[in-house]
Amino acid sequence: MPETEFAVVGGGLVGMAVAYGLQRRGHQVTVFDEGDIAYRASRGNFGLVWVQGKGAGMPDYARWTRLSAALWPEFADELKRKTDVDVELTQPGGLDLCLTESELADQVARLEGLRDALDGNYPFQVLDPGRLRGMVPEAGPAVSGATYFPEDGHANPLFLLRALLGAFRAEGGRIENGGTVSAITPTRGAFRIETERPWEAAQVVLSAGLGNAKLGPMVGLNAPVKPNRGQVLICERVQPFLNYPTVQIRQIGTGSVQIGDSKEDVGFDDTTAPRVVAAIARRATRLFPLLENVRVVRAWGALRIMSPDGHPIYDRSTEHPGAHLVTCHSGVTLAAAHALVLAAWIGGGEPEIPYLETFSGKRFQLSSAA
Amino acid sequence: MVDPVPLLIMGSGPAGLAAAQEAVRAGVGALLLDEQPTGGGQIYRALGEATGERQKTLGTDYAAGAPLLTVLSAQCLDHQPGATVWEVSPDGTVYYTRQGQARAVSAEQVILCSGAMERPMPFPGWTLPGVMTCGAAQILLKGAGVFPASGAVLAGSGPLLLLLAKQLIGARARLAAVVDTTPADNYRGALKYLPGALRTPGYLLKGLSMIRTLSASGVPWYRGASGLEAIGDDAVAGLRFKVRGRQHEVACSNLFLHQGVVPNVQLSRSLGLEHHWDGLQRCWRPILDGWGASALERIAVAGDAGGIMGARAAEAHGRLAALGALNRIGVLSETERDRRAAGARAVYRREILPRPFLDRLYRPHPDYLQPADDTIVCRCEEVTAGQIRKYVELGCLGPNQTKAFGRSGMGPCQGRVCGLTVSEIIAQARGVPLEQVGYYRIRPPIKPVTLGELATLEQPEDA
Repeated sequence: MPETEFAVVGGGLVGMAVAYGLQRRGHQVTVFDEGDIAYRASRGNFGLVWVQGKGAGMPDYARWTRLSAALWPEFADELKRKTDVDVELTQPGGLDLCLTESELADQVARLEGLRDALDGNYPFQVLDPGRLRGMVPEAGPAVSGATYFPEDGHANPLFLLRALLGAFRAEGGRIENGGTVSAITPTRGAFRIETERPWEAAQVVLSAGLGNAKLGPMVGLNAPVKPNRGQVLICERVQPFLNYPTVQIRQIGTGSVQIGDSKEDVGFDDTTAPRVVAAIARRATRLFPLLENVRVVRAWGALRIMSPDGHPIYDRSTEHPGAHLVTCHSGVTLAAAHALVLAAWIGGGEPEIPYLETFSGKRFQLSSAA
Repeated sequence: MVDPVPLLIMGSGPAGLAAAQEAVRAGVGALLLDEQPTGGGQIYRALGEATGERQKTLGTDYAAGAPLLTVLSAQCLDHQPGATVWEVSPDGTVYYTRQGQARAVSAEQVILCSGAMERPMPFPGWTLPGVMTCGAAQILLKGAGVFPASGAVLAGSGPLLLLLAKQLIGARARLAAVVDTTPADNYRGALKYLPGALRTPGYLLKGLSMIRTLSASGVPWYRGASGLEAIGDDAVAGLRFKVRGRQHEVACSNLFLHQGVVPNVQLSRSLGLEHHWDGLQRCWRPILDGWGASALERIAVAGDAGGIMGARAAEAHGRLAALGALNRIGVLSETERDRRAAGARAVYRREILPRPFLDRLYRPHPDYLQPADDTIVCRCEEVTAGQIRKYVELGCLGPNQTKAFGRSGMGPCQGRVCGLTVSEIIAQARGVPLEQVGYYRIRPPIKPVTLGELATLEQPEDA
C-alpha cells in the first residue's frame, strides 16, 4: 500500500504549483524538497509574468504562456484568500527596451514572426523614443525605443513560493524536506522514492529542476536540461519611477529596483561574476540614468533550467505509467497554468487544452536521431 | 588589469597593521586597503589625529597602538584608505570602490583582517531612534570627541560595556545608569576557566580597574538585569528592566547596548569558506590553519575576523598570517618564516589564555539570543522573531529559506545584524543544534556600491 498517492520531487515554484494543483483537486500529495542550501532557481527568479517574445519556433508555447498570464489574476486571488499572502501581481503590460536601432529592428522582427505564427492575434506595439518617454519619462537619451505587450506583468516570486507552500499545507499536503532524492525505482505499479528513508508512492511527479536530467531516465523520461546562469542585482529603495516591468529592470511595490538580464553557460556555478555584474550595471544606467547613484545591496546568480530549445517539458511515462515530469525556466509566469491546468492533466483528467503533448521530451530524441 | 600585487591586506586594525609591518620588513610591496579614512581599525580609530586630552580619556590601551601606526608611512607600503571592498573572489581578485571609482586588483595572497562586529541585542524597543551600540558610541567618542553630556544609559554585558563606561566617566559625562545583563550563573560557569586566565592577568586587572572606576563614580549600576524594554514614542525615553524580580525604570535620551563582539565573517562567508560554530563564543569562525590560511590557496584571515581574540592577540595573529603568506609566495623560506614567527606565536598563545574565561563570563543572556515573538530581529526589513518561527512551522529548515519567505537578511546590511539571531531562533524552534541550521549565504556586494560606481569597473578587453 503506497504511503502517498503522489510524490512530487522538488519543492520549487514548479513543484509547489503542481503539488498545490493536485492537492486542491482532492489528490493526496507529498512534496520532497532539499534543505537550506540547494540550487534554487525559485529564489533567484526575476519575478516577471512575461508573455512578450516567448514561443518563437513553438507557437503552442506562446499560447500556453498567454493562457497562464490570463489565469494569473484569479490564481493570485485564490492564493490571497487561502493564505492571506499578497503575491503583488500587477499586469500593466511590459516593455523590452532597446539601446540601438538594430536591436529594436531584431526585436520587432521576432514579434512579427510570432504574430504571423499566431494568425495575427498578438497585440504588441512598437514605441518610438517619444512615445516611450510618454510612458516612462525617466528612460535615458540612449534608449532607441521599445516594444510593448499588454499582457505582461510581474509578481513577487518569493511571496509566490510562500503562498504556494501555505496553500498546499492548508489543503492538507505534506512536505518532507531536508533530504535529497537519490533515485526513483518503479516497483509493481508504484514507485520507490529513495531519500533519507525509502518512500512508496502510487504516482510520481519529477519537478526537480536540473535534477530531472538524472531522475527522468530512471522512470523512462527524457529531460536533457542544462544550467544557464542569470544574474540579478537588487538595489535600494527609490521613489517610484517605473510603472511597467521591463525585461531588464523592474521596480517592485516597496520601491526596490531589480536589474537582471544575463545569460551565461557556466555549469553548476551559482555565484556571481563581478564583470558581468558591471556590464549589467552599465546597461542599466544607460537605460535609466537616474540609477547612477542608486546603491546595489545584493547581487545573485541563479541557475535557469534550460531545455535544448528553451521551452518547457511536460511528459508522462509510457514505460512506467504514473510517472510524470515537469520542467521549465518560467516558474512564475507558468505558475497559474501549472496549478490550474497542468495539475488536472497529471491527475488523470481530460486535457482541457489540446496541445500539452507538444511539450513531450520525446521531441529531443527525434531531433537527435534525425 | 594591472599585474597582481604580491600581498593584499584588507583592514588596518591591529592584525592588518602588523601584517603590513611584516611585509615591509621582508621588503614586499603590499597593498593595504581600508574602508576608514585613517588607519587603526576600531580600537586605534583616529589615534594618529587624537589630541593628548582625548588619548588620556580613552586610556593606555588606545595609545598603545601608536607604534603599529608608524608602518603606514613606510615607502614600500601602498596604503589606500577610504577603500570599500565589496567583493573578494576565490582566485584572489579584490573588488573595491575608492573615490567613486570601482577597481579590481588581483593578489597572489590576500589577508582578510575585517575584524569584529557587535553581537546584536534584540529586545522590545531596541530599534527606537536614540538606541545604538556601545561600539557606535565609541566611534563618535574616538573619531569626533562627541558624547552625550548627560542622560545616557549603558546596557548589556561584556568588557566594552565597562570600558565605555570608564571612558565616558573619564570624559565627565553624567551617565544615568549602567544596566548589566550578565546572568549571575555566568560567574559560576566561568570559574573553571579562571586559572587559565590568571596566567595572563593583565586583562583581569584592567577589568577590576574599570569596575573600581564605575563603583567610585556613583553612577547607578544594576547587576543581573533581565527583561529589558526600551520605551519611547518617536525616540528612546527610558529603559525598563527587572533585577531579582523587581521592576525598574530609568529615563534616558541615549541608550547604548552591547553584548560582546563576534567575528565579521561576511567576506569569508561570501567566499564560501567553511565555518565552524564556536559554542563558547556563540559565533561562527572560518576554519583556518596555524598561519591563518584558509582552504583557498590565496586567502588567509587574521585577527578577530577569524575568531574573537582581542587586539594584542590579533596583532600577533596578523604577523603570523603575513609570515605564512610571505612563505607561500616564496619570499621567506620555512626556516626563516618560523624564526620570525617565534615571538609572535608566543605572544598569541599568551594573549588568548584569558579568552575562555571572558567568553564564558560574558555569554549573552538567553533573552537576547531567543527574543520574544513580537521583537524585531531584522531591522532592515522589520521581520520579527515570531515571523521566523512561523516560517519554521511552514517547513523552513534554515536561514536561507526564512530569508526567501520573509526577507529577513535581504536589506542593506546583508544580514550582518540579524544573521546570528535568526539561526539561533531556527535552531531552537527546530530543536536541533545550531551547526545543523547554518548561516545565510552571503551574496556580494558585501557593502553597498552604486550602479554608477559598478559601471566604471573596467572590462577584460581594456587590459
